[in-house]
Amino acid sequence: MMAPEMIGLCGILILLAMLAAGVPIGNSLALVGLGGLAVMISPEAALIKAGVVSFEVIMKYELGVLPLFLLMAHLCFAAGASRDFFDVAAKFVGHRRGGLALASIGGCAGFGSISGSSLATVATISSVALPEMRKAGYHPGFASGALAAGGTLGSLIPPSGALIVFGIIAEQSIGKLFAAAVVPGISQAIFYMIAILILCAFVPSLGPATARVPWGERLRSLRKVIDIFALVMFVIGGLMIGWFTPTEAASVGVTAAFVLLIARRRFSRAAVVDALQSTLRTTGMIYVVIIGALLFATFVSVTGITDALSSLVSDLDASPLTAIIVMALLLLLLGSFLDGVALMLLTTPIFLPIAEQLGYSPIWFGIFLVRTMEIGFVHPPLGLNIYVIQGIAKDLSLGTIFRGVIPFLVADFIHLGFLIGFPALTLWLPSVVGG
Amino acid sequence: MTQQDASHPGQDHPLPEDTMTDLVSDGPVQAHGPLARLAYALGGIGLLGATAADTLAVAGRHTGIHLLGSIELVQAMVVILASSAMLIVTIVHGHASVHMLTERLRGVTAARLARFAALLSALVFLVFAAGSAWIGAELWNGHEQTELLHIPLRWLRLLWTVFALLIAWRFLRFAFGADRPEQA
Repeated sequence: MMAPEMIGLCGILILLAMLAAGVPIGNSLALVGLGGLAVMISPEAALIKAGVVSFEVIMKYELGVLPLFLLMAHLCFAAGASRDFFDVAAKFVGHRRGGLALASIGGCAGFGSISGSSLATVATISSVALPEMRKAGYHPGFASGALAAGGTLGSLIPPSGALIVFGIIAEQSIGKLFAAAVVPGISQAIFYMIAILILCAFVPSLGPATARVPWGERLRSLRKVIDIFALVMFVIGGLMIGWFTPTEAASVGVTAAFVLLIARRRFSRAAVVDALQSTLRTTGMIYVVIIGALLFATFVSVTGITDALSSLVSDLDASPLTAIIVMALLLLLLGSFLDGVALMLLTTPIFLPIAEQLGYSPIWFGIFLVRTMEIGFVHPPLGLNIYVIQGIAKDLSLGTIFRGVIPFLVADFIHLGFLIGFPALTLWLPSVVGG
Repeated sequence: MTQQDASHPGQDHPLPEDTMTDLVSDGPVQAHGPLARLAYALGGIGLLGATAADTLAVAGRHTGIHLLGSIELVQAMVVILASSAMLIVTIVHGHASVHMLTERLRGVTAARLARFAALLSALVFLVFAAGSAWIGAELWNGHEQTELLHIPLRWLRLLWTVFALLIAWRFLRFAFGADRPEQA
């Protein structure tokens, strides 16, 4: 009989093979999890576990938060909220050197607070901001690099889909995770802005200044985002101060988005049906992945792999900081061929118990994981955000965009270092607010 | 990489299909068959029902009118919407998968691999259906229900079992080459 750890290792290798063969991520995770449980315990146990976990997941009240936030996002898109954040930010800072790039970071942060997704953010803001920046004479690599990096803000700024998935898998408070993401999300945007200012100070031709917009026009432009901003503040703020639970916050957000749709005179049967259908398609995809991830996590815990790895870390006598840095490097390496959420689902059951044993808070670990995962969206060879931008601006080569991202990657690594070195950046806000 | 056209993921502007998760589906494939229409209708009812139940509960709580059982209502709605959503994503071939290797294969080999993947996926949902049916049968006479509103869970479990079977059937159709999204 093979040792349980060896069975676990074989399971992980089979999982990687199935993923490479194109088996859907959720189904691969479920198959390996169930197969592993059948081998290690019994086929009956695996069958019952399949029935229990699948029904528990779809019955889970807390998981209702995800489709509802999705619906809120789709209704906001239907209300025409996509390009407004960039337009407004461009009016305020566009006249400065690198101002449109700064505005694109602001636009990504604003849009990220609705979409909860890196890819959606980069696709939307790039389609608006990239042509504007190129028209203003911005260096294409610099402009696309800023957008690719800025897009990653969508994964971290609440309501973040990645954090919701982590919260479900790791059984952590989604409200606390959202609160924990606020300071890292804002500081990440500030790091990108500093990178832009430094680059433009040394090489002004990267981002020439554009015409100054009168203050009257700037203030008038605020009307375009004030309602969406109020909606986001109400939903996320209300969640943090304990007015409602995450699922209630999402429901209230959907209702408010309906009001917004009506107020903006965009309400129609087609718009609502389209929002519902898009929400359902994404929801189905997520549920399968979450069921699979939970079955896989059960299998991993039964194999004792995490205990073995924890013992290994203890035996090596490595400091917690060293262990976390090694984890970050492993995540970045795995992120070269696995995309963000798959990476999170695969590694959370293995890394989270180790991090907890090392004394790290699971809330902090969730932010660390999503932040590391975000870097995978812009670093080669996978860098999905890069491909999204290249899909929008086909005349730009991948090399140009990847080169443009390098300064922002440096900012990313420094920011990640700050989060690792100063966990209080992450843990302070959840300690002072409810949720 | 989680999409079919991995070389140009942005070509079809992933928004709004991939919001929240960064898992990219194959794109907004429309399905107009009766099964798809039923699934969309049930899913829509689930989404709007969950929204209404929780919004009313929040409004009630802040105005002093406590509406008990909203969580149970949302749970029931979530079962309906999640079951429908998984069927829909299967009908439109929208499951998240890694295409780093398969995109580099020849057409015939890639198609064979896709059918093999569908076969394995069908197996997963058959196991879900069998497991749920087993538990459902064991608990059928126990009349499992929620605490406040007494919503019978056995019917919700049965609904999930049926949907899991339907999803397995859709995967099997694809595995044996009989499936096209518009036939749903």
